[in-house]
Amino acid sequence: MAPTPKNTRQLNKEERIRRIAGMTNGKFVSSNQVADVLKLIIEPDDILCLEGDNQKQADFFANQLATLDIKDLHDIHLVMSCITLPAHLELFKKGAVKQVDFCYAGPQGQAVAELLAEGKFPIGAIHTYNELYARYYMDLTPRVALIAAVQADRAGNLYLAANTEDTPAIVEPTAFSNGIIFAQVNEIVDSIPRIDIPADQVDLIVEAPYPMHLTALFTRDPAAITEVQILMAMMAIRGIYQEYEVQSLNHGVGFNTAAIELLLPTYGEELGLKGKICNYWMVNPLPTMIPAIESGWVKSVFSVGGEVGMERYTAARSDIFFTGRDGSFHSNRPMGQLAGHYAIDMFIGATLQIDINGNSSTVSKKRITGFGGAPNMGCQPMGRRHPTKAWLKVGAESNPGPGAIPGRKLVVQMAETFQSGRVPTFVEELEAQDPNIKKALHGVAPVMIYGDDVTHVVTEEGIANLAACRTIEERQAAIRGVAGYTPVGLKRNMKETQELRARGIIRLPEDLGISPSSVSRSLLAAQDIKGLVRWSGGLYDPPSQFIDW
Amino acid sequence: MKRASLYHEQTARKRIASLVDPGSFTELLPPPERVVSPYLPLLDIPVSFDDGLVIGRATLGGKPVYLAAQVGQFVGGSVGEVHSAKLTGILKAAARDAIPCLLLVESGGVRLHEGSSGEIGISEAMRAVFECRAKGVPTIAVIGADIGAYGGMGILVTCCDFRIMTEHGRLGISGPIVIEKWMGKQAYDSSNRALVWKTSGGKTKYLLNDADVLTHDDSASVGAAIGELLSKSQPITLGGLKTRQQELEKRLGDFGKTSDPEEIWKAFGIADIGEASLASGPEFVALAKRKTP
Amino acid sequence: MEKFDKTFPSKSFSWPPDKEWAIAGVVGSGNLEVLFERNTESPNTMECHVESSIPGYEDSWLAALEDFAANYPAGGTKVTIHDQGAAPIVVTFRLRQAYDHLLQKIS
Repeated sequence: MAPTPKNTRQLNKEERIRRIAGMTNGKFVSSNQVADVLKLIIEPDDILCLEGDNQKQADFFANQLATLDIKDLHDIHLVMSCITLPAHLELFKKGAVKQVDFCYAGPQGQAVAELLAEGKFPIGAIHTYNELYARYYMDLTPRVALIAAVQADRAGNLYLAANTEDTPAIVEPTAFSNGIIFAQVNEIVDSIPRIDIPADQVDLIVEAPYPMHLTALFTRDPAAITEVQILMAMMAIRGIYQEYEVQSLNHGVGFNTAAIELLLPTYGEELGLKGKICNYWMVNPLPTMIPAIESGWVKSVFSVGGEVGMERYTAARSDIFFTGRDGSFHSNRPMGQLAGHYAIDMFIGATLQIDINGNSSTVSKKRITGFGGAPNMGCQPMGRRHPTKAWLKVGAESNPGPGAIPGRKLVVQMAETFQSGRVPTFVEELEAQDPNIKKALHGVAPVMIYGDDVTHVVTEEGIANLAACRTIEERQAAIRGVAGYTPVGLKRNMKETQELRARGIIRLPEDLGISPSSVSRSLLAAQDIKGLVRWSGGLYDPPSQFIDW
Repeated sequence: MKRASLYHEQTARKRIASLVDPGSFTELLPPPERVVSPYLPLLDIPVSFDDGLVIGRATLGGKPVYLAAQVGQFVGGSVGEVHSAKLTGILKAAARDAIPCLLLVESGGVRLHEGSSGEIGISEAMRAVFECRAKGVPTIAVIGADIGAYGGMGILVTCCDFRIMTEHGRLGISGPIVIEKWMGKQAYDSSNRALVWKTSGGKTKYLLNDADVLTHDDSASVGAAIGELLSKSQPITLGGLKTRQQELEKRLGDFGKTSDPEEIWKAFGIADIGEASLASGPEFVALAKRKTP
Repeated sequence: MEKFDKTFPSKSFSWPPDKEWAIAGVVGSGNLEVLFERNTESPNTMECHVESSIPGYEDSWLAALEDFAANYPAGGTKVTIHDQGAAPIVVTFRLRQAYDHLLQKIS
């Protein structure tokens, strides 16, 4: 007979804490003791969450874990959002990990692919962010969570500052299931500006010898924006933003969307769109948003994380950005992702590879990048019930049947037909469909966004309205119609393409009233980082790698 | 709002179109004549119809001018045989017709692919500049592109009557990478863009009088600056050369041992380096206490 | 260097009386220049000559030129291209820019 479950987790936690009794000063651990503490509080078969968010990393913990021998750290079920540091890979090289569940591995994509090929990267599944956090409350509840915060006070309360990101999603399920929460902080102070995580949810704290790793991931230099990206941005604004009266949106990070942001105060203004579109945003505090914000385009911005250099600007613009009672910026990845699922008219982002059915992925044989938030934003929210103009308009275009939801979210994929090195974006079959990749992922190809969810594809050749396509054959023809001179595009049937154009399913720049000669970098509200600093009235502090004056 | 088209981002042809009276430009030796480099095809390098230099005649504010605009993207704006022949030709036409000559400069100097023909060509162009000056025909160089005026073109622009620069332009002879190679990264880090521009950029050149005017980075401002100078020319006299020599000796005395360009800025009355770095051309001019000779 | 020529049928372009040619683009890395010239001898064709520093893309080039000739009245035109590795994207872009120059849509 199985024993009745009682409070074994609580008892086991107390035992683990007892093991390190002499090594701590209350909750506080000194940095030279961290490796030994980790050995004792982590047990084999634990679900271990190491905070590796998109931007901030608990890198001190990662480095300390990497020093542990396999006899002290083994059979770990690792759960984390983003695998970004070489130290993360060490755990796999040593064979300490029996299973990993994660979302994104962009910076280490190549190394992950190599480890996978060597059989050293045992994937449970690749998730989108909210999906992973949801499982923290179900079958992936962390036993031990190693998190990163900016400051702690003497009582053990934590201040997360601008980069809240995933921390609440990690802390809550762990704290309320008798898990152990160990925080690395940049410094311990007498009083913190505001309490983001209360002390009674934190078990252990260490003042790390160096500040946590934090990357400026979302900063795009306007000087690098090309004429082709400006053409595509103009097409998107005219053909989609204006056409569907997009009120609320999320921009996937990249130069294509940065170009759109910088065109709102100029081209958008020319079209008379200020106040009519783009009022509510779910994006990080992107420096390229500064001109639109300063020009009065934006009512509010909620963010999943911060952005290095935007601290003073966001604090000075609390009408637009969410800030705490202390005046400084606040973000939240799970909630921002939730907004990006249910509460936006449109998601628009770029991708590296699209197949003839509209499926896209950034995963290839040589790079396992994972998904991040794209599947969540770039999918149809079937649980949505509130209507907006845009939702109803796209919904009507897609001819819903009697059992279908009447509205659709705009899910827009932007891509130039060729990537750098003249590699075609459009392919007959995604590299992600490779049998070895599928095998490693238990039979499911890592498709990031499914063609059935995509409403529009924007290339430099034109816009394809997939939502209005009645059959899969029509959809394929529409995609080929905007796939330019890639091998996929060259297979298009001229008669079919012309017919789709006549129906408005394919629209070329000239159909939108855009002539390539009107495309000019002078349409960008700011032409370089220095320009953004000037727009911000000196409030934006670019990281040093962006300063060239 | 519509941002003015920025001079440093414009193509050579767009610069001409933005500066001159609308419709007044006639191109000489235009693309259909296909006067292209005889050397580049031998090296399997694509040619350009204008060999990287657009020349012609136009009016600016009603006044006739000859123009030459370099195409910086084509082999770095470098000067080859055909390019230099066109440059020399337009300068000689200016001298002959007593019509001012504008050079919109964007060049790293001699086109090494063409060896000595580029070197000889630039020398001939310099001679033609002196022909203009001897006759009191104004020669005005605009250096407002990121590539700047380097090598032989750096020397040539210094032979002209006037130099108009913007904050984007640079003026020198050896480029930053060459300087770093010879002097070492400690002495000069060519990847430090802020340093490179503070050393050779328009703002510093303006303070030191190597540039006569520092304008805003748009054609309207550049055009206005050109307009002011169209009727002026400085003859080359022995007295003038001696005065210039003394100025340079004083400059060497003042700054010969300075290793940080910010010290030069401070010496010219710039109190807040950060503010001055962020400033546009005209804002910088207002901040500095530059002595006009 | 790869060089090729092809002539495409195209509806006749009415050349503005004061223009004989138009040029767009610049020969630089990833870029190209295209020259349109009047060709009175053949009003219903677009005669193309391409010189490209990156071989192997003839299919894409010809397809882009063919589409251009089909979509725009470009008959009575001689088109010469000097390419230094522009992606097909840029090809169509520059063709259209030169075309707009001829139609005086831009300064």
